[in-house]
Amino acid sequence: MKSRFITSAAVGLAAALALAGCGSAAPSANGQVTLKMVESLTNPTRTDTIEKLIDGFEKENPNIKVELISPPTDQADQKIQQMLQSGKGIDVVEARDITVGSFGANKWLYDMSADLTGWDGWSNLTDNAVKYSKQDGKTYYIPYGFYGLSLFYRTDVVKDAGFSAPPASWSDMLEQATAMNKPTENKFGYAFRGGANANSNAVAIIEAYVADEIDKENAFKLTSGKTIFSSPKAQEAMDLYIELFKKGSPPSSVAWGYPEMVQGFTNGSTSFLLQDPEVIATVKESKSINAEQWNVAPLLVGPTGKAIQPVASAGWGIAESSKAKPEAVKLIKYLAQGDAATTFTKENSLVPILKSAADDSFYSSGPWAAYVTMTENPDTYVSAVQPRGVSWWTEWIKKSDGELQRVLTGQMSTTELLAGWDSYWSQKMAG
Amino acid sequence: MTVDTKDAAARPSTRRDAPGGARTSTGIKRRFNAKTALTLLAFLAPAAIFVGIFTYYPMISGSQMAFRNWNLNDLSDTSWVGFGNFQSLFDAPEFWGIVRNTVIWVVGSLIPQVVIGFAVALFLKRRFRMRGAYQAMIFFPWAVSGFLIGMLFRWMFNAEFGVVNDLLMKAGLIDSPIPWLAEPGFAMTAIIIANIWYGVTFFAIMILAALQSVSDEMYEAAALDGAGKVRTFFNITLPSIATTLALTILLRVIWIFNFPDIIFAMTGGGPADQTHIITTYMIKITQEGDYGKASALGLIVVVTLMLFAAFYLMAVRPGKAQR
Amino acid sequence: MINRMSIAGRISKVVFLGLCLLATVFPLYWIIITSLKEPGAIYSLPLDYWPRQLSLENYIGLFTKSDFGQYMVNSLIVATVASTVATLISLLSAYVLARFEFSGRGWVMGAFLVTQMIPGFIALGPLYLMMSNFGLVDSKTGLILIYIAICIPFCTIMLRGFFENVPDALEEAAMIDGCSRLGALFRVLVPVMLPGVAASFIFNFVNCWNELFLSVTLMNSDANKTIPTALAGFISSFNIDWGSMSAAAVLTVVPTLAIFAFASKFIVQGLTAGAVKG
Repeated sequence: MKSRFITSAAVGLAAALALAGCGSAAPSANGQVTLKMVESLTNPTRTDTIEKLIDGFEKENPNIKVELISPPTDQADQKIQQMLQSGKGIDVVEARDITVGSFGANKWLYDMSADLTGWDGWSNLTDNAVKYSKQDGKTYYIPYGFYGLSLFYRTDVVKDAGFSAPPASWSDMLEQATAMNKPTENKFGYAFRGGANANSNAVAIIEAYVADEIDKENAFKLTSGKTIFSSPKAQEAMDLYIELFKKGSPPSSVAWGYPEMVQGFTNGSTSFLLQDPEVIATVKESKSINAEQWNVAPLLVGPTGKAIQPVASAGWGIAESSKAKPEAVKLIKYLAQGDAATTFTKENSLVPILKSAADDSFYSSGPWAAYVTMTENPDTYVSAVQPRGVSWWTEWIKKSDGELQRVLTGQMSTTELLAGWDSYWSQKMAG
Repeated sequence: MTVDTKDAAARPSTRRDAPGGARTSTGIKRRFNAKTALTLLAFLAPAAIFVGIFTYYPMISGSQMAFRNWNLNDLSDTSWVGFGNFQSLFDAPEFWGIVRNTVIWVVGSLIPQVVIGFAVALFLKRRFRMRGAYQAMIFFPWAVSGFLIGMLFRWMFNAEFGVVNDLLMKAGLIDSPIPWLAEPGFAMTAIIIANIWYGVTFFAIMILAALQSVSDEMYEAAALDGAGKVRTFFNITLPSIATTLALTILLRVIWIFNFPDIIFAMTGGGPADQTHIITTYMIKITQEGDYGKASALGLIVVVTLMLFAAFYLMAVRPGKAQR
Repeated sequence: MINRMSIAGRISKVVFLGLCLLATVFPLYWIIITSLKEPGAIYSLPLDYWPRQLSLENYIGLFTKSDFGQYMVNSLIVATVASTVATLISLLSAYVLARFEFSGRGWVMGAFLVTQMIPGFIALGPLYLMMSNFGLVDSKTGLILIYIAICIPFCTIMLRGFFENVPDALEEAAMIDGCSRLGALFRVLVPVMLPGVAASFIFNFVNCWNELFLSVTLMNSDANKTIPTALAGFISSFNIDWGSMSAAAVLTVVPTLAIFAFASKFIVQGLTAGAVKG
């Protein structure tokens, strides 16, 4: 009895270990290819959209099957790293400007340049989309859309507080938010970002203050070659920013990341929200505020009268280890063109990658009007490239977020904060 | 079979008669032949294989990263750096604060868990109507995952829409909502409350089980001697369950130390790293991509806990035989 | 005097137990209430302690918008198989550790105890690589194997305590009657210590049922994802879907709560016989 038990246990274990689970895509006997596609910024509605696009692609390419893998977004990038490192079970991957640097450095991503030379799709893409597809002469990914900041505001609250228009500058914002802040009634002015990625909005205000001397190719640098954090104007910006937190924002926003900020706005407790266009769809679904109660205004400007639009992008790339690169390229081309690209950017409310969107009435009306205003006034809303692709970007995010929270909780001064950021970036940029 | 069993039958009965855990030694010297030895080996093999392959191998393989420059953001240079990762951990300005948080987290969670768990167990020792149902209800936190507990308490401690602030305001204890998860002191309190909620159960179960194995005769004898409640508790109850209590505490210290789930879901270590304990800090470092430093931290955790366990067991052992 | 004392004692007992119960149950109550509110009503002030309008929308959404039913089945399979196998294997090792003294026994116990001290994250990378080489990524078998390994150490430590309270004479007699050692173990010893075995099984089950990080890392397809992955999925980058999450949480907790309700007596009984012993 015992030997039989042990033998069978051993056999079972061996069999289990030998069980072939998932291999990466390789053409099977009948010429059918399965692509594994992994998304990172997962949310249920977006997953549905991608599934829909995949269906369309599979109809056009009956011999290719696409399996979408949708990990919870908080754990996604870590999982993607594991997958890419193991070199198995991943063909098409969602690469973000902030991950593409390290993925590329580790040779995890495939350079599609050769496959895409002479591709007729290039001419349909906006200049920005082409620029981001060909960074440093390599095509690691093709963007599916762009993110950029604009100001979501409550039309009714602004009016009731006696203001004729939403804030256009950061100092307007301080004034209006302070006027609307009523903590005892659970009503607040500005949905401050103090939690995850808090650095992004802090940098946005600093950039608006130093806009006149900023290096457009590296938005963390001044034309003088020093970092933006070294400027005395950065000090002014941060002091106003902290005042905005103290006088016009919910105290709990020290811990607010993306979801809390958006929820603060959609559930009606805050009146202003600086966010990506992505949020439009979410706000439209809100049960607490209706369509007449909100709108979108352009990004806030600094005393310079200008704002720097920190363009962020993400898109689809191919794993270097993929054994089905031609098919993967096909899928990526499909997603970057025509209806597929338009559907994706519309349903996720992203800044589009196709030139044809300029003629689309969808983008010139309602909440999207602010984006048109911004693109039509490039001298006021200057777009500049942040060094988001550097391999230390995640380190920077974690570091700067933690330090900003230290300032918010009174453990650090804004001067110390800026000095620290200045020396960090001076060192990194020196090499 | 040549197994020597001369005092085997006497063993189980000794513990009821001898309070204070004065059991005969657990290990009875036995001699066995080669065939039995093989059987024993075969019995241990499956456990050893599983734990070896799926726990020790990855751990040991992972720990070599602790001595290398292993950063997922750039793997082009993964050279050996000796104790460099450890050095940069110790040099980080936030490190000792995080060690302090870990101690607060462990002690702050453990003591209330023991005290409340003990009290619940004492009250549950006697039968009363609905005791079974009561037990089931009070034991249920143990069935909830750490992640879920974290999310649940994050929702309840939400500053604007959370039920905790609402109740406190209704009770007139506070005038304006407390931003629980945004202020260091409050955030630490909130995560510890969540952990206490979760952990009381384990102590209650373990202590209740131990209490029920103390015989009634001993209490009757104590009552005859005219011992009061307090004296009975310290002279009989406590010594009888000392072993279980000591080991339960050890296990819980290890688990609480190694339990990032609640904190990670509730605060993510914030605000300003003020609720990071060593294991959540380790997650933060892996998210930054520095697996070398994270592994170094993992090794520090293992070694610290091993040392703690060794000293703890040494300290507890002698007291075990007496009361 | 004595009577008054005991009345005071009884009152304090009732008050204390009542407070504990309230503190324990309130979060459960709150999550149920949240799950039954209409999605918009979650953010309405003043807070409702009883939903104005009971709504099953969150629950319906779980099954129509996501594959929650499938996830529940997956979790059930993975947790049941893993905890059963782990309990069986632990019975064998615990038996040896409880009954025989051999050189290295302390080391084996130590090795089991040390597994409890290893932070999971240190092993995640190599584990993923290994599973991927075995072809066990996105496979229930793979997750089951790992869960078995995770459960074994504590389960062995627990079961060892139970064995020590069962007289050796029992299995000696059985073996003299011609049972093999394994036969004696499963036919004679296990039935005697059934409550303890049940308690160990339940601990294993709860651990597997709740495990998040490994499941998220290893499982890809809806056909294999377990419940905790789905729970984590309700946090998306710009939204935490509290409504769906609470509904899913209720459905996650109910089965374990049912087991506890059914088995809490068992657990205490089982542990009474053994508990964790030195």
